[in-house]
Amino acid sequence: MERTPLDSATRRRMLLVLFVFLGVCFGAITARLFQIQIVQHEIYQAKAIDQQVRDTTVTPKRGTIYDRNMKTLAVSASAETVYIAPKSIRNKEEAALIARELSRILGVNEETILKKTTANNYYEIIKRQVEKELADEVRAFKKEYNLESVALAEDSKRYYPYGAFASHVIGFTNVDGEGIEGLESYYNDILVGMPGRIITAKNARGTDMPFRYQQYIDARNGYHLVTTIDEAVQHFIEKHLENAVIEYNVQNRATAIVMDVRTGAILAMATKPDYDLNNPREISDPSLIAELESLEGEEYAKRQMEIWQSMWRNKAIADTYEPGSVFKIITVSMALEKNVVSLHETFNCPGYKVVAGTRIACWKAGGHGVQDVVTGLKNSCNPVFMELGARIGGASFYEYAEAFGLLNKTGIDLYGEASGIFFDRNTIANGVVETAVAAFGQTFKVTPIQMITAISACVNGGYLNQPYLVSKIIDDDGTVVQSFDPVVKRQVISEETSAKVASMLEQVVSTGTGKNAYIKGYRIGGKTGTSEKIDQKNAQGIADKRISSFCGIAPADNPQIAILLLMDEPEVDQVTGGLTAAPTVRKMFEDILPALGIMPQYTAEELASLEKSVPDVSKSTVSEAYAALRSAGFVPSVIGNGDSVIEQVPRGGQKLAKGGKVLLYTEQKEAAPLVTVPSVTGLTPAKATAKLEAAGFNIRANGKDLTEAEVSAISQSPTAGSLAEMGSVVTVDFVHESESEWVSVDY
Amino acid sequence: MRSASKAEERPIQSLKAKTAEMDLPFFVLVMLLVSIGLVMVFSASSANAYFRFGDSYYFIRAQLLWAAIGTVVMLTTARLLTPKLLRISVLPAFLFSLTTLILVLTPLGSSKNGAQRWLFGFQPSEVAKLSIILCMSWLICRQKKKIKTLKGGLIPCASLLLLFCGLIALEKHISATVLVFAIGAVLMFVGGVDWRWFAAFGSLGVVGVLGIIKVSNYAMQRVKVWLDPFIDPLGDGFQSIQSLYAIGSGGLFGLGIGKSRQKYLYIPEPQNDFIFSIVCEELGFVGAVLIVLLFILLIWRGFTIAFKAPDRFSALVVIGITSQVAIQSILNICVVSGLVPNTGISLPFFSAGGTSLVMLMFEMGIVLSISRRARL
Repeated sequence: MERTPLDSATRRRMLLVLFVFLGVCFGAITARLFQIQIVQHEIYQAKAIDQQVRDTTVTPKRGTIYDRNMKTLAVSASAETVYIAPKSIRNKEEAALIARELSRILGVNEETILKKTTANNYYEIIKRQVEKELADEVRAFKKEYNLESVALAEDSKRYYPYGAFASHVIGFTNVDGEGIEGLESYYNDILVGMPGRIITAKNARGTDMPFRYQQYIDARNGYHLVTTIDEAVQHFIEKHLENAVIEYNVQNRATAIVMDVRTGAILAMATKPDYDLNNPREISDPSLIAELESLEGEEYAKRQMEIWQSMWRNKAIADTYEPGSVFKIITVSMALEKNVVSLHETFNCPGYKVVAGTRIACWKAGGHGVQDVVTGLKNSCNPVFMELGARIGGASFYEYAEAFGLLNKTGIDLYGEASGIFFDRNTIANGVVETAVAAFGQTFKVTPIQMITAISACVNGGYLNQPYLVSKIIDDDGTVVQSFDPVVKRQVISEETSAKVASMLEQVVSTGTGKNAYIKGYRIGGKTGTSEKIDQKNAQGIADKRISSFCGIAPADNPQIAILLLMDEPEVDQVTGGLTAAPTVRKMFEDILPALGIMPQYTAEELASLEKSVPDVSKSTVSEAYAALRSAGFVPSVIGNGDSVIEQVPRGGQKLAKGGKVLLYTEQKEAAPLVTVPSVTGLTPAKATAKLEAAGFNIRANGKDLTEAEVSAISQSPTAGSLAEMGSVVTVDFVHESESEWVSVDY
Repeated sequence: MRSASKAEERPIQSLKAKTAEMDLPFFVLVMLLVSIGLVMVFSASSANAYFRFGDSYYFIRAQLLWAAIGTVVMLTTARLLTPKLLRISVLPAFLFSLTTLILVLTPLGSSKNGAQRWLFGFQPSEVAKLSIILCMSWLICRQKKKIKTLKGGLIPCASLLLLFCGLIALEKHISATVLVFAIGAVLMFVGGVDWRWFAAFGSLGVVGVLGIIKVSNYAMQRVKVWLDPFIDPLGDGFQSIQSLYAIGSGGLFGLGIGKSRQKYLYIPEPQNDFIFSIVCEELGFVGAVLIVLLFILLIWRGFTIAFKAPDRFSALVVIGITSQVAIQSILNICVVSGLVPNTGISLPFFSAGGTSLVMLMFEMGIVLSISRRARL
């Protein structure tokens, strides 16, 4: 061996050191790297990517909600979210400046903003859904002070062009753009679309790195809903419903549904009072506001939520009620279909009927005497229907109720539908008293939507439809994504029975308790109802709360449209459906039938009493005007000494009854003075006409068979005490006072 | 002293009268590591440099310059340095380090991050690493006969080592203290100081460290964060977690050179102590192991040169220098991969920094100069 400066012991020690370095230490390091890089690779990679990447969601545009004529009911527009990056705020002065200016521009509490500026992050929302003008102001502020800490992000905001219009049907969204009521909620998944994403690499300061990759995943906008709602129909329904709530002092809200009886499509659905969709959390009732102000903390929040819930509750589908006499439509349909009664058969009503030892009264104290089934329906005579109920039998009654869909939810495309409360099969099958009372619509509960759907089946040929609100789902290009055809669940009664029922309903309006729903030129059918809320008794143990309702169909010879109106606890002297609901439904029909293209067809008798348009005679000479008006059947009255007409009242084109007076002004200074309208409420047609004519007005009398006794005015427009042009037309609604079917179920 | 060493080494010198070329494998390995190091410094530092100075080339420009200087220094040293010169320089090195290590503690030294480490633009502790190698090698050669004894072996060697370590510890430069101590200990072990002392003091040290951890809340907290950095993800554990994210996301083949994401301000100063986590992220397990392999080959080759060194002193110097590279790279990789608690220890050839790179290449030059006289 060569001579070496190192002895073998030293060499051994060197080898040992080398082994420790290379074998032990680097071996351990390699193992450790293998563990981190290969074994735990995915865990660390996921965590690393999580912090390295900013995943921004691109909110798709929420779909629009249209009425059936493509009028926009709800639409989303772009807005912006204003946020701050507290960690980018350089000093206290900047924080104070941001708080002050953003508070001024956005109306957010300054203290709240100041608190957010101290957060230890890069994202604190100051305000969402900021409209463009305000957002621009924020941008200008940001630019002026060169603030990196203030930023804006895309957002969207929901607009409801008609405000409170159809609020309970359309519903609204929360700030996150999720529908939480109505169609907005039910069709949320359809409306919301598919969110897109922007994935951006960012550094540890949260700043985007432009030189790194960016990945876009496009958002797909939400689909649009084409509803069955007709904007014009809904508008008229709401107008009259709102008036009715005021006029009849309705305590517990009123609701109305307009259904196409042939398909089950809902043309209008309203609940009043309603709420503003653009501001759904605003409580307008002063007494509720006062009540809330007296509460604090949790109690406040709880009560506020209760108030909101009841305000947003769609009465047409979520509340149940005892249908009362309106239900007689169903009972008579069952009886006719089961063939347990003939149209010529007669019944005697002594004012009550004893069923299994229980005396059940008719609403008319002295009784209706001898009558057939048609007259019984016209009179809404309870003993007749108790008899029909007995003939149908409890078990069969139950089966029909089920077939008419009264035992199940209708399945309308809205959340929150209630299912009603009905007897169980055995109770009614074995209970003659129950059957008797149920036959005139008491002691069980249905929802308004169940009721109108069942009545539609009674008159449309017997087909029970599935009610629905959305007919089509379309995309941005208008391509139909999905269309909903009418669904017939089953045929409940035959077409013949159905035709008979429709004709009977017409007679109820033309000569029975439904007279107040009569309209010249239309064949209206319908049935009134006044039900006791027998589960709500007052201090004396008497159920004194009432629900007055009316269900109308038109045209009775070929039913197309049904309206169900329900007023929960009207508080006026006469609360019967015939006196409150029927006249309101008349007004609704009067407006919506022409809007739906159903034109009046007058009988000769109606034609004679018909109003005509006043010819426009302004600017013609007095003699010409005189001749024109006379030949049109009006009475001209010249005021002043001029040669030609300067102004006429009523004006050209306005409707006026034959023999109405038209004032012709020939001198400028005297033209069309304003006069106070007198009150005619409670007067007979003759007295009301005389009083209005004496005051210088023309009268337009609404109502059926005005020459009969016990007809009196219940409302007028313009209202008493207001000013109107002398000679203008005052519309007066007359009702038949006697036609009430007060139900008292004491058993 | 002089006569003793002369007597020992004269015959060997005569054997190797003619000098050969420097060791090519060692030189190639050094240049490979330096080159890869430069690439990685550029990749790792660019984002940080851009963010702090608006200039992506801020660090790499300086590093390139230092690497160039270092290469010149290395080659010059390899060519001009002789064993005699090296031996003569022991005393000046000792005195220089002693002086500078004391001076740096005076107001002449400047502090950075709470530690007094800088003197006229360089770190005395960097030079001290070489000084301890030279001095300890010299001392061991001088005490060769008595090295097994307590009086002649352990006490003089330990005194020298504790003098250096104590002075560096006063700078509060823990990593350098540990490093100098480890280099000295390796040399003492190789030089023949009885291994039982190491066992005894080693176990005493372990007990001492455990005692400190038990008593000191600060140390306890450091250990806890080391064992699970996720208990303090935004504080003490931040650097460790970010390093693990970088290494872990590298996977088998890495994200590709220059494609690190963790260098974007997640890892603080990614061009310094934590450069290896960027290496792992960009080059993956394969790349990291290849670089580890380069270090292994370099250390292997260094030991080979030491085996064949012309004399015992040179052998010990080469062992010392090679061990320094080994210990420093092992500790650095252990820190970035969470095997040992976080201390600021740089990765040889990779971490950016002027003094350390030039010093390191000077040391490589010493090894190369010795290799020229080795019987390879």
